[in-house]
Amino acid sequence: MFSYILRRLAQMLPLLFFASVAIFALVALQPGDPLDELRMSNPLMTSEQSAQLRRAYGLDQPIYVRYFKWLGRAVTGDLGRSRTYGLPAGEFIFEQRLPRTLILTVTSLTIALLIAIPVGIFSAVRQYSAGDYAITFLSFVGLSTPNFFLGIILMYLFVIWLPETFGIRSLPVGGIPNLMLSDLQSGQVTLGEFVGQWARHLVLPVFTLASGSIAAWTRFMRASMLEVLNQDYVRTARSKGLTERKVLYKHALRNGLIPIVTLVGLSMPALFNGALITETIFSYPGMGRAIFDALIHKDFNVAMAALVFIAILVVFFNLVADVMYAVVDPRIRYD
Amino acid sequence: MSRFIVSLFLSLVVGLTFAGPQDNSLVIGASQEPVLLGDLLDVVGTQAIASEVELWIYDGLYHINLDAELEPNFVTEVATVENGRMVITDIGDGDSRVELNLTLRDDIVWSDGHPITTDDIAFAFEITQTPGMPLRSPDYYSRMNVEVFDAQNFRVTLEPAQSSDLVQSPIDLLPAHVMAEAWAAAVGAASALDPDTDAARISEIYQGFMTDFGSSSAINEGRTVYSGPFVPVRWTPGSALQLRRNPLYFNHPENVADYVQTVEYRFITDTNALLFSIVTGAVDVTSSVSITFDQALSPQVTARAADRYDIWFVPSATWEHLEVNQHSNVRQVADLQLDDVRTRRAIIHAIDRQAMVEALFDGLQPVSHANVSPFDPMYNPDVRQYAYDPEQSEQLLSELGWTRAGDGILQRTTADGRTVRFELEFVTTAGNAVRERQQQFIAEDLRQIGIDVRINNAPSSVVFAPDFFDRGFDGSWTGMFMFAWVSSQASSLNQAGYLCRNAPTPANNYSGQNLAGACVEAYDELRDLAVVELDLDAARPLYQEMQAIFAEELIAIPLLFRSNPVIVTQGVVNYVASTFNGGYGYPPARPELVGWAQNGAAVTFDQAAYALAFE
Repeated sequence: MFSYILRRLAQMLPLLFFASVAIFALVALQPGDPLDELRMSNPLMTSEQSAQLRRAYGLDQPIYVRYFKWLGRAVTGDLGRSRTYGLPAGEFIFEQRLPRTLILTVTSLTIALLIAIPVGIFSAVRQYSAGDYAITFLSFVGLSTPNFFLGIILMYLFVIWLPETFGIRSLPVGGIPNLMLSDLQSGQVTLGEFVGQWARHLVLPVFTLASGSIAAWTRFMRASMLEVLNQDYVRTARSKGLTERKVLYKHALRNGLIPIVTLVGLSMPALFNGALITETIFSYPGMGRAIFDALIHKDFNVAMAALVFIAILVVFFNLVADVMYAVVDPRIRYD
Repeated sequence: MSRFIVSLFLSLVVGLTFAGPQDNSLVIGASQEPVLLGDLLDVVGTQAIASEVELWIYDGLYHINLDAELEPNFVTEVATVENGRMVITDIGDGDSRVELNLTLRDDIVWSDGHPITTDDIAFAFEITQTPGMPLRSPDYYSRMNVEVFDAQNFRVTLEPAQSSDLVQSPIDLLPAHVMAEAWAAAVGAASALDPDTDAARISEIYQGFMTDFGSSSAINEGRTVYSGPFVPVRWTPGSALQLRRNPLYFNHPENVADYVQTVEYRFITDTNALLFSIVTGAVDVTSSVSITFDQALSPQVTARAADRYDIWFVPSATWEHLEVNQHSNVRQVADLQLDDVRTRRAIIHAIDRQAMVEALFDGLQPVSHANVSPFDPMYNPDVRQYAYDPEQSEQLLSELGWTRAGDGILQRTTADGRTVRFELEFVTTAGNAVRERQQQFIAEDLRQIGIDVRINNAPSSVVFAPDFFDRGFDGSWTGMFMFAWVSSQASSLNQAGYLCRNAPTPANNYSGQNLAGACVEAYDELRDLAVVELDLDAARPLYQEMQAIFAEELIAIPLLFRSNPVIVTQGVVNYVASTFNGGYGYPPARPELVGWAQNGAAVTFDQAAYALAFE
């Protein structure tokens, strides 16, 4: 196993190299360059000045030269500065955007699981009951409602309609609270206020983001449980006289959860990508927006840092998944 | 635990902030967040929202007031020929040297109490003169010299000078006592690199130097000082920037306690979300970088306006227009005779521009007749105006040999015997819904006179890329191109955009902004005289004649000047903007005077004098 992991790690290096080449080429080959916007806002810019700025940004060099200069610095941990934000690209991505994206996506994932698993089980156990039909209906509504639509409807409901109709305080329209960890550490706000403010800001984007997962995973959970419940060993458990509770939670659920675990595992890299549409609707400063803005504004260093990081995550989680298969299934051996 | 639960409940239900007159604060909603603040020399970049926020926390030598006039700010008086502080010397070839002899006030200090002196001017000047510094306006600084005589007196020399140099502060100030040490380190690091092979690395070092004093973390750590009426106290990236009054500022109003004491810029990047914030009263006023024109006129906003907030439309110098390809070597241009002014006149007569602005903008973005804003001191109101007159269009086209074919589309026979149809390519930025609606309106009008419009839109990154934008000569676009030029009062005095020599062609390696290849020699001659005429009163007739030629020859087809919507909660006073105040017209003209009427703040400026109101 150890030699297998080493071999896979060694294979990752050329894979990541080619991935970074492809990402750099795609980013660099977009039409236009970062000076276009500047030129449009400054009609006085002469061609000499434009050429001087191209040189200052290194845009006068061939793509391969720019790539190897970027690579040479990246392997030393220097990811360059964001052309848009002026900050070191690494600081911008890993200190500002990534933690916020993880707050949003992990909360959303957790809530989706907490809702989808019990509801899916209920739906399977009470197959064809009124509750099952209601859950099935709502699941299909959730699956077929796009995030951008749901987000705006929720915003209208909780920010305008309910407050105007019933006089209740509206939820924030988005963004993040004007609070920093240092406020908590210095005692300027209590833990309750800190969590409360974050909760108020997160409730709408989290529900918007989680709605699709809740709907999909409820359906998966229901299907998986139904399959397991029809297995011989469940019938055997029942015939042994076990209580229905034991049959469900000890025998059926553990096997029924396996497909869900696979699905959740596959969605792990997505936690780091951010959620572009939800982040956009709710003005949430996460990774999705950061990557999108970096590509639109041709901010090479930020785009490269973020996309190569995601490529590393994908490769890494693939390795973790393969190793986990061997851990959970004794029949699989990597030699 | 119970305390946690109680405070959690309270913050869920009540929230932490109370804005408005109760605590004499102001919340401003913006759809963009500054990248950094204090980059006054534009080393890292230019950003509208950063410039607007900097109005609150930095002051300059001069102030550009609501009427686009210069007022002394940090200096004792504005340099003029009359007061002897401006000396103009003829240096031959029609060029002049201008010396501005200025004196700093002796009662101005940075926010840490350190006096503002000529050291701060000399320091900023040194930065602008550093090789490899990625300045956005290198031309201006390359013509500049600064001499310091003592702590208050200094001279700025511009050679050769241009008229546009005289309508702005000659140079900004940076706090030498705070930044000099880090600057020396940056210069040391850059000097170890090869300027030929490491230009990008050198510019990163200098941009890093600026960022280290202007980023959110730098501001939160208090790494630098400020010169304006407010100082930033806290910047939560992605959320808000809070400012409070600078007690050491020299120009606060009497009874300063009656005016707002704290300001919060709230960054809500999605304009729909920002719209919700406005209608729920979560923000008191909007930034100039805020909801779109359409959104300001949406029923959600207008229906809730009465007794709550005013909706203003501040005219800007952002000019929407149609470039018409006039590169005669392009076959489609020659076939359609776009290089003949009669064709362009036929096109403009066919477009009901007044109906368009009424239908799409409630008339709040007025039709333009040339390329200079009506609020520019050089504006000429008496240029040729083209009314909607499709019959005149058809007559002009008939004179040019066009006749209607069976399908209603115009066609003619060229000199070489080919029959060509009037199929006009029409390009604009895909995804800009407002512009695309204007395009549909214009295309429909042109179809009425027999012009078959072929829409060819693409994202702005494509249409503004050099291989498209600058290659009209090679036929990258062959008909009309709709976009906007953004200008300040200073840039509108330069007027280099439509010079014959600035048409991008292979001969000049496709440089220049005159992308359509328009060429009127009389216009060029006037411009070259106007730009070096430093007596602006004497320059005015030259600029006005240029506008007359522009309209007569239809160098480009003018559509309208955009307006910026600004929403102001009733009770807020002096949150006022005009087309050119402060250079680009960002609100407010005088941040130190913004307040709530119910708290006793006196009304100094009236927005109605500078903007149109939604009724």
